[in-house]
Amino acid sequence: MKKKVSLILAASMVFGLALTGCGGSSSENVGSAAQGESTPAAGGSTEAAASGGGEALGVDTAGFMIDVLNADIQTADVHKTSKDYTVPTNIYDRLVEIQVDEAGASKIVPSLAESWEISGDGLEYTFHLRQGVKFQNGNDFTAEDVSYTFERLLTVEGGVNTELLDQVKGAAAMIDGSADTLEGVEVVDDYTVKVTLKEPFAAFLSCLTAPGLSIYDSEATEAAGDQFGMDPAVTVGTGPFKFAEWTFNDHLTLVRNEDYWNGAAGLPGVVIKIIPDTETQTMMFESGELDVIDLDFVTDAADRFLATYPDQIVSGPRVGITYFTMNFNIEPFQDVKVRKAVQMAIDRQAILDALYGGRGQVEHGIYPYGLIGFNDAQTKISYDPEGAKALLAEAGYGDGFTMELAADASASDTVTMALEIIKEQLAAVGIHAEIKNYDESTWLETRKAGELGSFMSTWTADFNDPENFIYTFFGNEEKTRIRSINYPDTAVMARVSGARGIVNEDERLAEYQALEEKLIHEDAAWVPMYSRMHLWAVSKRIQDFKPVWSGVSDRNYYGVSLTE
Amino acid sequence: MLNKVLKRIVISIPVLFGVMLAIFIMLRLVPGNPVTTMLGEHVNPAVIEKISREMGLDQPLYIQFFKYVANVLRGDFGTSYRLNRNVTGIIMESFPNTVKLSLLAAVVAWLIGIVAGIVAAIRQNRILDRLFMGGALIGVSMPVFMTALVLQYLFAFKLKWFPVSGFDSMQAMVLPAIVLGWNSAGSIARMTRSNLVEIMQNDFIRTARAKGLREHGVIIGHALKNAMLPVITMMALQLSSMLSGAVLTESVFGVPGIGRLAVNAIETRDMPLLQGTVIFTTILVILGNLVADLLYNVMDPRIREGA
Amino acid sequence: MADGKERQNLTEQNPETFKKPDGMAFREHEENISTKEDISGQLGEADTWKDQLMTLIRQNKLAAFSAVVIGLIILAAIFAPVVAPYDYLAQSLTDRLQDPGAAHWLGTDELGRDVLSRIIYGARISLTIGLVPTLISMAIGTVLGLCAGFYGGKTDFIIMRLADVMLAFPSLLLAMVVMYTMGGGLINIFIALSLVNWAGTARIVRSQTLSLKEKEFVEAARSIGVKKWTIMFRHILPNCLPSLIVLFTLNIPSAILSEASLSFLGIGAQPPSASWGLMVVRGKKYLFSEPWLSIAPSVAIMIVVLAFNFLGDGLRDVLDPYLKEQ
Repeated sequence: MKKKVSLILAASMVFGLALTGCGGSSSENVGSAAQGESTPAAGGSTEAAASGGGEALGVDTAGFMIDVLNADIQTADVHKTSKDYTVPTNIYDRLVEIQVDEAGASKIVPSLAESWEISGDGLEYTFHLRQGVKFQNGNDFTAEDVSYTFERLLTVEGGVNTELLDQVKGAAAMIDGSADTLEGVEVVDDYTVKVTLKEPFAAFLSCLTAPGLSIYDSEATEAAGDQFGMDPAVTVGTGPFKFAEWTFNDHLTLVRNEDYWNGAAGLPGVVIKIIPDTETQTMMFESGELDVIDLDFVTDAADRFLATYPDQIVSGPRVGITYFTMNFNIEPFQDVKVRKAVQMAIDRQAILDALYGGRGQVEHGIYPYGLIGFNDAQTKISYDPEGAKALLAEAGYGDGFTMELAADASASDTVTMALEIIKEQLAAVGIHAEIKNYDESTWLETRKAGELGSFMSTWTADFNDPENFIYTFFGNEEKTRIRSINYPDTAVMARVSGARGIVNEDERLAEYQALEEKLIHEDAAWVPMYSRMHLWAVSKRIQDFKPVWSGVSDRNYYGVSLTE
Repeated sequence: MLNKVLKRIVISIPVLFGVMLAIFIMLRLVPGNPVTTMLGEHVNPAVIEKISREMGLDQPLYIQFFKYVANVLRGDFGTSYRLNRNVTGIIMESFPNTVKLSLLAAVVAWLIGIVAGIVAAIRQNRILDRLFMGGALIGVSMPVFMTALVLQYLFAFKLKWFPVSGFDSMQAMVLPAIVLGWNSAGSIARMTRSNLVEIMQNDFIRTARAKGLREHGVIIGHALKNAMLPVITMMALQLSSMLSGAVLTESVFGVPGIGRLAVNAIETRDMPLLQGTVIFTTILVILGNLVADLLYNVMDPRIREGA
Repeated sequence: MADGKERQNLTEQNPETFKKPDGMAFREHEENISTKEDISGQLGEADTWKDQLMTLIRQNKLAAFSAVVIGLIILAAIFAPVVAPYDYLAQSLTDRLQDPGAAHWLGTDELGRDVLSRIIYGARISLTIGLVPTLISMAIGTVLGLCAGFYGGKTDFIIMRLADVMLAFPSLLLAMVVMYTMGGGLINIFIALSLVNWAGTARIVRSQTLSLKEKEFVEAARSIGVKKWTIMFRHILPNCLPSLIVLFTLNIPSAILSEASLSFLGIGAQPPSASWGLMVVRGKKYLFSEPWLSIAPSVAIMIVVLAFNFLGDGLRDVLDPYLKEQ
């Protein structure tokens, strides 16, 4: 009997070891055991795997700032992502950057381009590049790199963000493969590059500040192939930080670029941890395991943190507008009275207060607070359920009607909650709204087909110009259809499109504001909801942490410093 | 013996094939073009079409499937839509963490389960039985993510015994292992208890008792070893539920393991990554069961083929 | 594969364990068979059910108590409109996140809805999520298990390999794939959980069928020309019932928990429906300032899950020798 017990114990240990063996020894071992054939794990990610042991690759992270993201990035290559901009913002530079002053006004400042001229017709931009700038691999930055970067953006496999350059002459031909070189970009000499547009596009300079137009090293990027943005060692830019390390789903490490052309950064480096659970993030921050926490994602903590750590809160406008749509192709939204009634029936302040602690402001137009062209003087929409009922009665819907609230399953809980509140508020004026849940893909496809019911979403600025907002939604028939608005007035849309070419800034903004008045207050084309403040809590040892301009939640670590 | 091993392996092959087919078909039923969701807002329609073609999405399903199977057999799970890299590579990077977590959790589950099971069996239908079984069962009674948060709050945040998150030190691994292990302990306790109860009624135990051995000695000395065998099978079967639990535990504690990959894949609608993760995990389970089965055969000579 | 065969072998080593089901009485069984005299010798006295229930109550007060708790919760769910103090959907943005107090015993949630009322109404959804997929999956599993065990051969092979495939998947991952494919929502949860869970039942029913079909009363029925389906459903199935009842009791809580996990991953129940799982997930965001928002529904889940587990264990001790290894 004794023998048997020890046999069992031994056997169970063997079983345990067998499992450990699977895990511990090597990936190839498992692959072959599972698949009956021993081929090394394919693909170039073996380097990444090798560095992914959880141990820092000789990077001493003492004195580094500890930041956190909810989800890991997809890539640091901005030609292949339209949202993971934190790493790109810090490891690359753009030709020009946007700078916000204390009063909130923004201006475009030189970066890799020291100066520029714009031709009188608004078609030609000549950039004089900064000399003596080096990429992190030691290569010189020249006009060739600009031209290479732009061409790669349009042609790289899996490319997104191509719309940032679609006003450049010849961009379409590059995308569809009928041209090998970008006609509108001309390398004049090593430090001069001339960009020609296909038609005047006044927002072009603002557009160049977008993280998507970060400048790459032609030589290193070409050599890196599809590992660019994936393997930190080959992902180089001219920026203040180097991409040092990436352990997937665990952390990213950036270290200071000591030779940065504008002076080395204050922080020796940054470790960005990947923590999906927001409650875990909160506890980590309060235990001192994090230096920064984005309060956008921690609904609960925002209120509490404001009270507990009032001196450690950093905030800035999230330049984006939350809007609620009404599809002109769906009964009874053809009727302007019905649309106006909906505008008046939704208590936007109550929603902002309930869901975001009132941190933000109710909007009345298309351009949110913080954007050039934001108009505080425009007509206001007031919450007036009685007025809404009266309008509905006038329109012949005194008994109300049924409408759809289209919820995207991938949207955040707060958006879903907002829809629940809106549903109740509409019920108060007799409109029966039903929440219909879509999965992300169906939601997107139905929306793009122009057939989606009412939905709520937020558009955040890619660059600082009203064009990025109004043209996206009301630029032409296709634009308004793919947002499931189906705004019918082609004359107005022609004006929206035409305004892009007005070279004089004041004239252009005046036209944009007139269009905003027409679209939102005369035609009630959507319900402007609110724009929100973006809040962070930072640990006491962090100095000068500033929100980045733009709607996305990227950080710019240049300028931040840390005291012990 | 060798024959039996071969037979087991052979019988696993159609299962493996079935697993791949099931997942493949299910994921192809997803409405809409995956490329649309994959690329999101900022994208040119021409690009969508180009990528769809490059990914072979325009080919007939059965061709796509056989290509996929052929690739999986070579250890290639395809390229992630979102992460732009080889799924095999990502899995291999995350896999060791999940194995570490599961092994530690297995130890915890075993400890809690066996102890609770023994006490419950000795004190059958008495208060200690209920208390210990209840204690072991609480781990499966709360949603795993809540157990995780509560333990994290108490032991990491309030008492500061462990770091709140991470998986880079033994200390950091304790809480995730307890959460996951406790979640499996209930079934092990239940099984240990019922086996012991049954065995304690057997003749040889009665004989042993009659011989004057002290009751506890009887149980620990005789009954336990007879009850161990099924518990080992149980552990192998628990591998599957443990990997399910790991999905949630890893998310709460920020462990960079395979479960997180599955969650990433769902959140970003990354079909190849989801497909790869699920198939890989399932292969693990099949292997685990195979090993347990063979061990079982080795350990218990009574078991023969047939019947 | 550790498949049913192994376990069956195990039990067959120990013939005593097979005595109980044969000794059990099934009245419907007797009533439906014309030649009951021939086979009634196999069946025990008619009041065994009652006896066993009494044994359960005597031996295992916890299980009996659990049954009462479950009964009360079911009643509360059915009579939710009467029991709940408020309309579970009524928002009041001015009363959001109230602490528990006289007006709201468990406080209010982020939209000012009464948490207690939501938990009471949530019992409807969570219990439905526990019951419906479990019934569906067990019905599928029972039919397939019966066929596999009874017909044997190719049918058996195909069904059991299918079961192997389903059992090889970690259940949550498989449910995730199904939800990924079909999107969130109640009906899809039913489908996902039904698909995931049938295989376990199939195995158990198969192994019991295998042993039962060798028994005399089946042989007897066969010899007098009773149809195969009749034998399967009238003669064999009733003898599997004790195991099925226990399994049913134990599968319900796991379905409820699976829904909570799916909700955590954002692919479970969809608002404004108030499943307990979804309430926990949403309340979790307020864990530090308003902990009752997530703790209250968690405790509700815990109570129901524990109650079903205790009841199931108790039933198993009394009813069913087969499931001891589950």
